[in-house]
Amino acid sequence: MLELYHWEPNAACARVLITLKEKGLEFNSRYVDVLAFEQHTPAFLKLNETGETPVLVRDGEAYFESSYICEYLDEAFPKVPLMPSDPLGRWEARVWQKFVDDYIAACVSDLAWDAYGKIALEGRNLNFATAVSTIKSKERRDLWTSALAGFDADTLDRSRGRLKDLVGKMETDLARSGWLAGSSYSLADIAVFSYVNYLPRLMSDVLNATAAPRVAAWLKTVGERPAVKAALAMSRAPDPYTIAAPGPEHVRWG
Amino acid sequence: MTVELYYFQPLGTNSGRVYLTLLEKGVPFVEHELSGRNFDHLRPEYLKVNPRGQAPAMVHDGHALYEGMAINEYIDESFEGPPLRPADLRERWRMRVWCRYAENDLGRALMMINWNRVVPNFMGGRSMEEVEKVLETVPDVDRRRSWLAAFKQQTPPEAIEESHRRTRAGVQKLEAACRERPYLAGQTYSLADIDCFNFCGFMAMWMPEIMNDTDTPAAMDWRRKVSDRPAVKEMRSRTPRMQPPAGAGTGGAVEASARAQAQARA
Repeated sequence: MLELYHWEPNAACARVLITLKEKGLEFNSRYVDVLAFEQHTPAFLKLNETGETPVLVRDGEAYFESSYICEYLDEAFPKVPLMPSDPLGRWEARVWQKFVDDYIAACVSDLAWDAYGKIALEGRNLNFATAVSTIKSKERRDLWTSALAGFDADTLDRSRGRLKDLVGKMETDLARSGWLAGSSYSLADIAVFSYVNYLPRLMSDVLNATAAPRVAAWLKTVGERPAVKAALAMSRAPDPYTIAAPGPEHVRWG
Repeated sequence: MTVELYYFQPLGTNSGRVYLTLLEKGVPFVEHELSGRNFDHLRPEYLKVNPRGQAPAMVHDGHALYEGMAINEYIDESFEGPPLRPADLRERWRMRVWCRYAENDLGRALMMINWNRVVPNFMGGRSMEEVEKVLETVPDVDRRRSWLAAFKQQTPPEAIEESHRRTRAGVQKLEAACRERPYLAGQTYSLADIDCFNFCGFMAMWMPEIMNDTDTPAAMDWRRKVSDRPAVKEMRSRTPRMQPPAGAGTGGAVEASARAQAQARA
């Protein structure tokens, strides 16, 4: 049996939840409340020493890094393929996945944390400064420290700039087949959707039906897929895209 | 169909990983050498090939491919020759995690340390004004900032110190992996070894204080095993051996002393 340790169905966790639902795979859901720091408990760190969700467990082995969990699932359960059928299409999908991992994830997370993160922490009976100081991984500790302090205007502007470029690039690429890689829905669409679904609210001036009609239509099409709806319906919040956690970190060196 | 590869000399990191993969697979290719020192990757004729202004780029069947890790999987899927991705899916997952770690985490920490040590030598008689003018054409904003910071020696010392910390942690991680299994992904040589060798293998020469036969014997044995491969020897015969930059072997002491001096002045 597959087990998935995950938080809300947004960002990285959405990628794996959507992939599991698209492939029709049964799995045990293990909800990890990252705003209660459950990902930094000894039990969770045994699964992934960096304290990041999601983690897939199969036959007692833990798999992390959402891009590679999704590719693993696609190769291990090939009945419903989610990668393009030719090497060029797969190259395109992998370039998109890497672009998500290197840039989109961190940029969207900056804006989402800025808009929703601190609100989500209110009302929780937890001393966050103490909780952060006990995080084992220095990378994650530093990230939470800067998130609690609030991201500065320069960081947020740079993230907005990169995401504006992203929407422009998507608008161009989607003209080809309607999908991001190859000629069918793939892990590339799942990866990008899982983050860009925040943007109609966070960057409404850039992502709307007039300014970016293809991206807006694509977002709607993907969002209406039964598997995507089923994944997002696993949320414990009123809406998984009005809640956020910080991270991953930005690329440290060009 | 011909394969053409645009790559940086001296070979290593991103260019080295793709070059070595082509050699390991036995794929013949047309070579286009670029010099980073001369900003060849920002010239209009190269930007026509890869508008991102980054190397390597591989042209195949009329498509210009970029992103080293994705190119390498493409090569493994498209050409005959020994498979460079494990058939076992657990090992294949581990291969990808190592490829990313080598490039994005350990590789970028090393790149930050080394660029800040060597890039000032790239001035080549140019004024800072001339250099800045060229760097304005770097298409990616973060890359532009990194280059400029290295040329002006303005990378925050804390960031460089953090890179030294990550490098020390990375060598220990490599040592632990090499003690556990013959190759990084598992039982067979794979793209993970190719990447880690290209992004981090030179630590044995440039950072002997943290990677050596006493402290990291398994990592050193792994490095020798990879170095002995015919394709690796072939690649090395085609590239000049780089001299370690000033500061190599000091474990970050050079950066720390520069920081102390700056603090004393302030």
